[in-house]
Amino acid sequence: MNKLYLWGIIITIIMFAATFYTLVITAGDSGKGLSEILSNDIINSLAIAGAITLVIITVFVVIKYVRQMQTDTAQGQLIDEQWDGIGEYLNEIPKGWGIAFILTMVWGMWYFTIGYPLNAYSQIGEYNEDSAVHNAKFESKYSAITGDRLVDMGKSVFLAECKVCHGLNADGIDGKAADLNVRIEEKTVKFAIENGSNNHLLGSEMPMPDRNGLFNSNTGALITDAEIDIVSKYVANGMSGAGEDVFMGTCAACHGEDGKGMEYVAPSVATFTPELVTNILNHGKKGSIGQMPAFERLNAKQKEAVGAYVTDLSK
Amino acid sequence: MFHWLEKHPFFFSVGVFLVIAFAGLVEILPSFAQASRPVIGTKPYSILETTGRQIYIKNSCNACHSQLIRPFKSETDRYGHYSLSGEYAYDRPFLWGSKRTGPDLMRVGNYRTTDWHENHMKDPAGVVPGSVMPAYRWMYTNIADIPTAYAEQLTNAQFFSVPYNEPIPMKDGTTEVVKMGNNVTQAHAMALAEAKEIAADMKDQNVKDAVARGEIPEIVALIAYLNSLK
Repeated sequence: MNKLYLWGIIITIIMFAATFYTLVITAGDSGKGLSEILSNDIINSLAIAGAITLVIITVFVVIKYVRQMQTDTAQGQLIDEQWDGIGEYLNEIPKGWGIAFILTMVWGMWYFTIGYPLNAYSQIGEYNEDSAVHNAKFESKYSAITGDRLVDMGKSVFLAECKVCHGLNADGIDGKAADLNVRIEEKTVKFAIENGSNNHLLGSEMPMPDRNGLFNSNTGALITDAEIDIVSKYVANGMSGAGEDVFMGTCAACHGEDGKGMEYVAPSVATFTPELVTNILNHGKKGSIGQMPAFERLNAKQKEAVGAYVTDLSK
Repeated sequence: MFHWLEKHPFFFSVGVFLVIAFAGLVEILPSFAQASRPVIGTKPYSILETTGRQIYIKNSCNACHSQLIRPFKSETDRYGHYSLSGEYAYDRPFLWGSKRTGPDLMRVGNYRTTDWHENHMKDPAGVVPGSVMPAYRWMYTNIADIPTAYAEQLTNAQFFSVPYNEPIPMKDGTTEVVKMGNNVTQAHAMALAEAKEIAADMKDQNVKDAVARGEIPEIVALIAYLNSLK
């Protein structure tokens, strides 16, 4: 027998012994018997079988090639060129290799032109898909809601976006923002009369004039400080008390006799309306307290819902 | 030549390096240059905004607030459009931050205003119940350091070619010019003009008085900076 095979068998036996020894240690650690480990778990049995097969194959494949190196002689025609004294046979390329090479090139071209550009992962692409799915879900679930559900939705949007300034109870946190539990505060009315107003409300570009453009038709003169005081209280009081005559003479021409506003002319000062709130969310507002920014990232339904909630608050 | 290369492994390695490096540069540099160009609508910081930015850094606002909106629906719903790399073109250094104890401030100028910041910096928990942000009352009395901000502006203009006094294209097709003073006195006058607009929207009488006297409290500069984040 060749010495090589003898070595192969010796190495195989040593490796089997090592495998067995490892198994015995494992069994000892787990407190179970060797046969118990092998029979209870098919994975263990498979692993052992695999280890044995691997040892046998490895040893004998190595032996095959070592023998080939020992016994093979060179055949075929050498090409002329040499590289550092190393020559090369003029052989055909192996067919399987050649086919694989060409297929790789074809795949490379496909990947370069179609595969990568069309299937590549992009974070923005994933974001766009996520947003589309979310928007479609929102549309199907909420686009038709009305009444109490709309008010509920408005409340949740309010708690997410508006409470930071207007407060959890929409009371404006001690005058830091408008108190939304009433339609309008006295100082706000006064500010609008003194300074005029143009918040592009209700789609109108026409500004409300300041006090130098506000006539009281009852007296035929510009509105006076006393009249401003009394009419501000009247409006802030929910259109009641003294001052009705000033309101009729000065404000009613645009805001209506009942103060509920006129479409495309002036907003309602008697009650909140969803349209009014949506407009303020779209354009923002600058008034007696400070500036309110526009909230353009809310969608149309959310704005409508906030309008419904705010209208509901001041009822 | 190839035979020669094959016999000289060192130069062969150099050749391989050059080829791969060239391919890398051709791939990377153009897209890098494209991405770092300022986005349309991104303006350099004015003198008061630069001052505010230095105050933002001085008080380590970036330790709790990020300035980077990731492209997730949950973030864009809350903070607005996700951040683009070109929007940081004039940020030296950028203030991305790495932790959000407070909310992201990348576009805070879109949804908070001067009067809100004034209330909030004085007493955060009074506006946002449960807020853990500390009050920054000294900002209402500390006077902002305009000369240092002007030095930063000057460095940005001269060494980094930040386009001051040049038309900057805006999103609506118009252009805007961000002016920079020729000297410290002029810069201070420009900062004061900006500060007057901010102070007009503020309530704190001490701040208003200081601005009327020609001094700029830190809070005014910080609010100018926060309002510029859009």
